[in-house]
Amino acid sequence: MKKFLFLMLALVIGVSASAQTLPDVKVENQEGKVISVRELVDGTPMIISFWSTTCKPCIMELNAINDSFYEWLEEVDMKVVAISVDDSRTLSRARAMTQGQGWDDFVCLYDKNQDFKRAMNVSLTPHTFIVDGNGTIVYSHSGYTPGSEQELFEKIKALK
Amino acid sequence: MKKFLLLLGVLGATILATESASAQIQVGEGQISGAVESNNIYYGPDKKLENLGLMQRPELPFGSHDFIKVDYSIGRFSAGIQLDGYLPPMDGYDISTYKQRDTKLTGFLTKYVQWEDTNYGIRLGDIYDQFGNGLIFRTYEDRALGFNNALAGARAYYNFNNYVSVKAIAGMPRLYDVRNTNWVYGADLSLSISDMAGWTGGMVSIEGSYIGRYQHGASTDEILQYTGITGDYLNMVSGRLNFEAAGFTLRGEYAAKLNEDLYSAMNAPAKGNVVHVDLGYSHRRFSASATFRRYEKMQTPITLSAGALGGGNTLNYLPLLTRQHTYMLASLNPYQGSGTGDEIGGQFDVYYSLRNKKERTKYWNFHANFSTYYSMDYASYSSTMKGRMLWLDVNADVERQWGKHLKTTLFYSHQQWDEAHGLGIEAHNYSSDIFVADVTYKFNKKYSMRVEAQYLASNNYEGDWVAGLIEFNIAPKFSFYVSDMWNCEAMEKNTFYDENGEEYNELLHYYQVGASFTHSRFRAQLSYGRNRAGYVCSGGVCRYQPAYTGINLSLTASF
Repeated sequence: MKKFLFLMLALVIGVSASAQTLPDVKVENQEGKVISVRELVDGTPMIISFWSTTCKPCIMELNAINDSFYEWLEEVDMKVVAISVDDSRTLSRARAMTQGQGWDDFVCLYDKNQDFKRAMNVSLTPHTFIVDGNGTIVYSHSGYTPGSEQELFEKIKALK
Repeated sequence: MKKFLLLLGVLGATILATESASAQIQVGEGQISGAVESNNIYYGPDKKLENLGLMQRPELPFGSHDFIKVDYSIGRFSAGIQLDGYLPPMDGYDISTYKQRDTKLTGFLTKYVQWEDTNYGIRLGDIYDQFGNGLIFRTYEDRALGFNNALAGARAYYNFNNYVSVKAIAGMPRLYDVRNTNWVYGADLSLSISDMAGWTGGMVSIEGSYIGRYQHGASTDEILQYTGITGDYLNMVSGRLNFEAAGFTLRGEYAAKLNEDLYSAMNAPAKGNVVHVDLGYSHRRFSASATFRRYEKMQTPITLSAGALGGGNTLNYLPLLTRQHTYMLASLNPYQGSGTGDEIGGQFDVYYSLRNKKERTKYWNFHANFSTYYSMDYASYSSTMKGRMLWLDVNADVERQWGKHLKTTLFYSHQQWDEAHGLGIEAHNYSSDIFVADVTYKFNKKYSMRVEAQYLASNNYEGDWVAGLIEFNIAPKFSFYVSDMWNCEAMEKNTFYDENGEEYNELLHYYQVGASFTHSRFRAQLSYGRNRAGYVCSGGVCRYQPAYTGINLSLTASF
């Protein structure tokens, strides 16, 4: 218990605002090839959303983003990265689902060993990050309520 | 009091952490990030559940699972620690069943240092990894199950030009809150045939793995000799073939235990094997996937020693390959697996999305799913147990987005299951049909509402059930819900007594009220309600959750 409190205290004292960059972690792409997360950084800002086949709000959020995606693209250049944290049990279902939900404009990646999830300190899904063109994490949000995708769009717009 | 201080600490840290747009600590060139998660239950009194013998209020009416994780990274180097606290463990987790329920378990530390280069990586400390589908080896953490079998040791991998990748691991796995002293070691090799041949039209690779487990003195241990274990070593191998081209995928894996091993507490040691095949096809907005799996005696414990049992004592991954249902009534009686150590079956999924080219907010999504599993011919059981169906479900959902405001989902599930599998007594086959309507209405960008109506029809299990849910959301910060669920036929069975000792009958409602608050990287969820006893599943692994009525508070934050 004392350790806990000590750690908390250290964290509270240590916290200061600054930019965090995308970690160097390997995930699989739609074809099953291993790629580094850093390869995503190409000057375009992005929404990175962690989802799984058993997480209903995650799928709702990605569908809502997909609904508005073309509208948003008219105002700002961006991309959406959907990271499935499904393990080997549901991985093939996750691959099928990205097609069957019509997420063809998204970059779909698979983090089956959850290395990326751990590196980004995601405890609960959905957890969504906004990353600027240089790979700096500028915002993150966990949980989804219908309409909260608007906040993501506002944050992306503010990057300009 | 200490509990209160901890909560206060978590809150303080998280609020501070979330106040800055992207809080995070810069240390020279490196950076520190982390996450805090705290799940708490207060078990309240519930005379009705207690009267019906469905609940026993724990002596210490409190459970708390807490996790603090901190990582430091600079360039390609990273290091981290995680502190787990079970203060004390909650009811229904193996850590409370196989360790002590009323004792606080704190200070279990997971830690690592790691170097990730372009073509190679080294990690020392606690390792989460898997070979292939995890059929012979998988170490992972699942907080919803209270599961963590992280391997403390070393891992190194090297990739040569995308052609060849090799990986080696060695260490001692974690068993609940202690480090087990058995050694686990192995290697994994992957060859990309398509890259070697310069074929760009698709992907072909072959892979192979080896895992060994060494338990010192297993063959001379008196208790283990009684079970028939003859050696200290267990060797396991796996071979895999992956193929992908023109929308088709095929992934096949075969794995086997080369030595006799204890795969269940009730049976003599045996060798085991497993076949797992995934097939997939996708074209535009249509996709289909199928899985076949057959395993025999393949469950692999971390340690053979008696007394260290339960779900935590697992080195490999043989999850239940059925759809994990999310609607209350559809997940009332989930598939729990074959209790006999063998199973054959598969599942099939089809997805199709029908979309309006001009309006992105108008579409249909269709999904159908089927799965069935059987137990195999198994000598130690009676003839009625041969080739018996353990589970079957057929599910269909139709999702319609009508425009910006309205979305409706209709869901149907037919489920059949065997109640007595693995116990050797006469089996009963039960079935139920579940109907769900789920409607979301978005008033504007801020306010939305979701309503679920569910009905379960069954004439042979517990009878019919009804459930409903109303959720109100204020984006992006608040969400509130109330739900209720009850069995329509249990009235005559539910006899209660009022203050005057008068007998009365009443339906038993499993109600819930809850709210969640999200602010950037901080999230709090508070709920109160009566929870039915049943199986809680995560990642294809289930744990039994006893009934309780109480308050749940969950806090998560990252920085």
